[in-house]
This record gives sequence, C-alpha cells and structure tokens, in this order.
Amino acid sequence: MLRSWSSNSIAAYLRILAVCLLVQATLPLIAQTAAGVVQGTVSDESGKAVANATITATSIDSGQKHTANTGPDGTYKLDLPPGNYRLTFEAAGFKTFEISSATVGGTEPEVFDGKLERSEPADGTRAGTQEENLPNAPSSSTTAPSLSDLGLSPEQTQGNPREQALLDKRTHMLKIHQRMGLITTIPLVATVILGPGAGGKSEGTAIRDLHVALGSLTGDLYGITAYYAIRAPRIPGTKKRGPIKFHEAMAWIHGPGMILTPILGAMAFSQKNNGEKVHGIAQAHGPVAIVTAGAFGAALLSVSVKF
Amino acid sequence: MNKRILTVFILAALPTFAAVDSQWLLQESTLTYHVSHPLHQSEGVSHAAKGKGVCHAGQCEFLIAVPVKSFDSGDSNRDLHMIQVTRGAEFPLVTVRTRLPESDATASAINADLEIQFAGQTSQYKQVAFKLDKQGNQIHLTGTIPATLVDFKIDPPSLLTMPVKNDIPIRVDMTWRQQ
Repeated sequence: MLRSWSSNSIAAYLRILAVCLLVQATLPLIAQTAAGVVQGTVSDESGKAVANATITATSIDSGQKHTANTGPDGTYKLDLPPGNYRLTFEAAGFKTFEISSATVGGTEPEVFDGKLERSEPADGTRAGTQEENLPNAPSSSTTAPSLSDLGLSPEQTQGNPREQALLDKRTHMLKIHQRMGLITTIPLVATVILGPGAGGKSEGTAIRDLHVALGSLTGDLYGITAYYAIRAPRIPGTKKRGPIKFHEAMAWIHGPGMILTPILGAMAFSQKNNGEKVHGIAQAHGPVAIVTAGAFGAALLSVSVKF
Repeated sequence: MNKRILTVFILAALPTFAAVDSQWLLQESTLTYHVSHPLHQSEGVSHAAKGKGVCHAGQCEFLIAVPVKSFDSGDSNRDLHMIQVTRGAEFPLVTVRTRLPESDATASAINADLEIQFAGQTSQYKQVAFKLDKQGNQIHLTGTIPATLVDFKIDPPSLLTMPVKNDIPIRVDMTWRQQ
C-alpha cells in the first residue's frame, strides 16, 4: 500500500494536513470580518435603569475600542466584529463595572447586562468592589495616604491600553508559536527516526518516500512556527534575560539547518534514485539534520524545563 | 489683642495637629510571588514598593504600591507574559491598603486585613499573619499573602498547554521607619 504512494502524493497529503492544523491554530486571528451584536441593560443595585452610561468594548486581540451609551431605559446596543472583548460599564456616580471577557461571534445578539454600584465619596484613588465589614479593614478616612503621597511617577500610575493590546497580541501569537512548535516536533522526530532506513542499502523506496514526505511536513510546520515567533510584536524597552536568550540563539542553528537539510536531502534523494551511493556535499544531509533537530529540541526544552 | 490673635491661630491650627499623629515610611522591601507549574517553580521579585502609613487617634492607615512591571523572575519572556495575563500595562500598580491599631507597632505578630487592588480587581484578605521585629524607630515585617489568580480574575498562564496552579503566594519582607 505504502509502496503505491509516491513521495509527492504523501507530501501533498501531509501538506493538506499542515494547512488544516494551521487553519485551526490561526482561526481566532483571521475570523474578524463578519459583524456581531452585543446588547443589554445597565441598572443600579435596586434594578433601576441607568441612563447615559458608557459601555466600552475593547478588543482583547487588537485593542480596538467601540463605545455606546445607554438610552433612558438603560439599554444599549453595540455592533462589533466577532472576537473577544472586555466590556466596561461607566456612569457618573457609579463604580466602574467590567466584564473581563465577552465573546462575540454568532448570528444571535449576545446579551451582557451591567449592574452598577453607587460609588463612595472618592478620594481619587480607590476603585471599588464589594466592601466587607472587617475588624481592621481599610477605611476611607481623610487621613489615609493616597498614591500621590508615595511619589510615584505618572508613567508608573497611568495605564497604557495600547501597550496592553500589544502584549495581548504578542502572547496570542507566541501561544500559536508554542503549539505549532510542539506539533512540528512529531513529524520532526519521525523524520529523524526514518532517516537511517531512507538512506540505507535497501532497494525499496517506501521508507525513503515517507521520510521525504515527513521531512516536507516538518519544513512546512516549522515555517509556520517560525512565522509566529518572528511576527510577534516586540515590546519597547524590554531587555531580554534568561532562557529566552538561549531559545533564540538556538534559532540561529535550527533556522539555517531547516533550510539546508531539505536541500541536501533533495540531492541525496536524487543520487539514491539514480542508483548512486550518496556522495559529495549530500553526505552532510544526515549530520546537518541531526544538529538541526538537536538545536530545535534544545530550544524547546530551554523554555519548558528548568535546568 | 496679641493674645487673642494667638489663641485664634492656635485654635485654627489644632485640627491640623490632630489630623496626623505620626507617619511611617517604607524604607526597604522585597516582595516575591511564587508560581507553580508542573515543569517549573518560578519566583518574581520586586524591590520597588513604596509605602506610607498615617496614624491618627490610635489607628494607622497604610498604603503600599508596587509597579507590576518591577517584578523580575530572571526571565524577560516570563515577565512579559505575567504582565500580559495580569493586565499590568493597563493596571500598572498593585496597591495594598490596611488599617492597624497604633499599638500593633509594639507587637511581635499581627493579623492584618488587607485590601489589594491588582489587575483591575479588588480583593480582601482577612487576618493575614505577619511577624514584626521592632528596632528603634524601625519595624521589620515579614509574612505571606495567600493570593490566588481567581481572586483577581486572572486566567492562569500556561506552558506546553499546562496551566499554572491557582495559588500565587506573595512573600512580604518590609522595613518601615517611623517619622
């Protein structure tokens, strides 16, 4: 059965598999086009509608913001591209209410209601949630120190939603990078295991064809894995420390190796198919592949296991 | 006439004197969070906390603030992930508030109720135990805050698809000086 498959057809099959995996892994990134609807009612603790409250939907993926205000009956409606959003409900005299993750996607409108608590007379520093009567709980007395008493700079106290959006995107892309790296390991290991059989003295071509097909799949998956690492946003002002430096250094070995290995492999494959013994530079295919796989494994382990 | 003016000034100034009896300033601090993962045990350390305590009528109000970005685990990649999951760019500070009797300054151990704002959420921790060591006008305080990710609605970061444990205890080591 295996013999009846050419290396090209196996490679084609595995490439389709790789595309399916890619689509599954990247679906959250590309499914951003169709529109969804978020609606609901904003009310206070007594259930009374809160008019003119502002609802802000911040895309967790892109940081893009959409806002709407409630009408006299406390209702609102937001048209949003599908995705994950953080919903913030704000109104004068009330504490901010937040829904940290709201998924918008289907054809049906998603309902998210906001329940606002009346705010205490504020000292300008305290956001609130439910207070409890603790024996020595923090009070809101006028002598309580505030953030301005601590001498923190504005950069330290003010939030930066744009940077948060950048971090969210970075993490999202690196999660895909991590998953794809793990998936890539499977055909990579299989290719290496089949290597000696593919280059042996056997006249049969089945193992060689499978080796080529798995190698092709590995190369494709590796390319996708690398793409998500390279394209992940850099965070300004971050100095790299720790295992990530080794992880990235390994890429300078397995990256060129992943280009060189198939080139040398194609030369060896051609020589074998011509009935020749593998010779010349093509002989380096095996050693280069081993070094490449080793560097890839070391890169994976460096960020996975603490040494 | 002069006596009358002086009396008026003293009376006017009395609330000011009465408002604050004494103050405490945070001199040094080491805050360490601990994260457990099946493959890793990680710790992040910050020495950047700033704090102040204001005492009045036998009660002291304390505020401590720590920049989220100041925690260093020795791995910049992990630190960036921690900032991301804790929404540290959007909510850059962890603040801790507590109110303690002024008399606690002479105790060797106290239990404090803490109100912690972190990652855009507020959580309260009741009766957290701390050890105190007073030397002169300085107090050395140590303890562990039993924080969890769920308390602050933080999605557990994962490595190799395995999430970290919910518990993120924070060890506190502080030196306060009375003004």
